[in-house]
Amino acid sequence: MEPIYADAKYQEVPYAEKKRLFDEVKADLRFETQLYGCYECGICVAACPSARFYDFSPRVFAQVVSREDVHTFYELLNDSVWDCSQCFSCTCCPRQNNPGGVITLMREVAVNNGLKSAKDALKAYSRIIYKIMSTGTQVAPDMLQPDFFPDWGPDVQQVSANLDVWRRAIPPETMHTVELAWDVSEKTRLELYLIWKLTGNLEMIENIDEGLFMILEEVMEELLEEHGYDLEEIESVVE
Amino acid sequence: MAEVNQCLLPDELLYHVDYNVWLRDNGDGTYDLGMTDIAQSMAGSLLHCRAKKVGKAVKEGKSLATVESGKWVGPLKSPFACEILASNEAVEVDAALLNRSPYKQGWIVKVRPAEGADLSALVDAAAAVDGFAAYMAANEFKGCIHCEGFEG
Repeated sequence: MEPIYADAKYQEVPYAEKKRLFDEVKADLRFETQLYGCYECGICVAACPSARFYDFSPRVFAQVVSREDVHTFYELLNDSVWDCSQCFSCTCCPRQNNPGGVITLMREVAVNNGLKSAKDALKAYSRIIYKIMSTGTQVAPDMLQPDFFPDWGPDVQQVSANLDVWRRAIPPETMHTVELAWDVSEKTRLELYLIWKLTGNLEMIENIDEGLFMILEEVMEELLEEHGYDLEEIESVVE
Repeated sequence: MAEVNQCLLPDELLYHVDYNVWLRDNGDGTYDLGMTDIAQSMAGSLLHCRAKKVGKAVKEGKSLATVESGKWVGPLKSPFACEILASNEAVEVDAALLNRSPYKQGWIVKVRPAEGADLSALVDAAAAVDGFAAYMAANEFKGCIHCEGFEG
């Protein structure tokens, strides 16, 4: 099958490969509850915060995937899929479509297949993934560094230089942590690690960032072993 | 001193290009290891550096330390199977030392290669230049950034 547009991107990628990835999205159990036909009303686009700032449209996802336009699907899978903020405002659709849900499935396929575009998109976020998966908290206060937040101007310099002081202004039950948004108990971390391990989520990381995977695996296995979990048994459950 | 895209590679050190680490041969069968100028520049301002425990045996390609900057985290990979003999407390207290002084004060661990460890991937500065140029191109990294107080 020829590309629809003469200047379509990714023409060098064989149709069979694009179709394989498309079929992987469609094969997901959740797929059949995401799309029910599109009125073309644009309500999803009007509600979408990403559409205001990027050349991005949740409607395009709903339509391209419904039409089974494999070439454009592949383009979205590599580019626009990372512009979505996953806020699911688009679920205000009068047809109960869920473009954000389609994007969730597409991102998972992009990550599971280790697509270069997915690696590039997530490259700058390895510590955020590390924090979420190792502690359950996302943005750490000490991420507020001048070189990562130049858009904050001089304020970020002041905040980062006096972070421990700033953190004392928040409720004491957070333990005034600077490396975490709040203190996370060992029990919570243990539950998280079992979830990531048993659901195969940890393995997804290996396709995207092998170094991050190595660090996470070590952190998790150390705590699980400390609490008497049999790692081989966990592996056999996953398999 | 060898240089590639404003990144310094001191002549007296050895390098493992793929793992982006430098090694100093102490001449007594031990090596000091740290992040290269390229690695510290790619990571940005470093916040934490936690070495594995002294005495731990680490396999080739596995992590000797975890290094974190604002939004990035990565392992310091071991270029050969080894035992950790010591870790640098100064970088654990102030990880920004790795940005200011990657080669002088910023050593991270001292190791002893395991018996029969394969050291063949280590190269000197002159031989590392092309490898690092290719590494930087592959990672779309233009050149090193030296912070205030940088001493090499």
